[in-house]
Amino acid sequence: MSTATASPSAAAPKASLAASTRFGTFALVFGISVAILYVICDMSALPMFTYHPGTDRLEWGYAPARRDEGPAMYWYGWIAASILGGFVLGLAAAMLPEKIGRRIPLALSWIVPIALLPVLIYSLKFYWRW
Amino acid sequence: MDFILDYITVTTFWTILFIVHALLAVALIGALTHQAVAVLAPVRQATAAGGFVTRFRSVSGPGYATAVCVLWVLTFIFGGWIYTKYRIYVRIPIEQQGFWKTQGIFELKEHLATIGLGLLPLYWYLWKNARETAYDSVRKWLTVLLAVICWYAFLVGHILNNVRGFGS
Repeated sequence: MSTATASPSAAAPKASLAASTRFGTFALVFGISVAILYVICDMSALPMFTYHPGTDRLEWGYAPARRDEGPAMYWYGWIAASILGGFVLGLAAAMLPEKIGRRIPLALSWIVPIALLPVLIYSLKFYWRW
Repeated sequence: MDFILDYITVTTFWTILFIVHALLAVALIGALTHQAVAVLAPVRQATAAGGFVTRFRSVSGPGYATAVCVLWVLTFIFGGWIYTKYRIYVRIPIEQQGFWKTQGIFELKEHLATIGLGLLPLYWYLWKNARETAYDSVRKWLTVLLAVICWYAFLVGHILNNVRGFGS
């Protein structure tokens, strides 16, 4: 975290998650990682699984829609992949020495999603037709 | 869940889920808007004589944090649930009618809602440490970002439902 002087607030009990700087580091890295991984999964067609709503069937990884079985859905698979990846990276960051964790700029939490917005809009270029 | 369909039609079932999703979104947008306005234009001195706007922005932000997280997750779960029916019964007709931009802005909604979901643990952490002045800036902009995402998702959801809602 970028706040070397961060200390538990008076409102947060010592033992709670809210008082843990490690949880703060986890949450920061988790948030940034989920955003980045989600965009990567979306643009690279990398869902953890594919759901076929017409037949209620799940398949691991990317699977194209099958003939006469309706569309394939990848959104759930992107969410699962990015959240799992974010959790692992967040956990790894939380285990780093605190002085390293504090160096991660907190502002990245809102700057990264805003920076990814043009990428997301570009990824949907198929729909921006007149 | 099939026993429910002995009493109501399939369309009614999914419409109820959609309405729950929408009502949760109303609660979420209200809480987040209060909080965002409170951090963007904080009331410097508590005053009982303030007008509507002053009272609107004088809420205690930390008290909303857990509720916002719970509401975001619940709204997301219900949205994800009805998404299966949307994919077949709403999206396909929209594509057949050529409403591509409508479809595109809805796709963006689901992307942003997911990114917002990932930001909730940090948002919660920052608000639970509301007395930590070093977090003031990031707490403010993260809250505003989530509020903007919520407003976007809310309005786009409305637009899409107007174009083609469940049962239409």
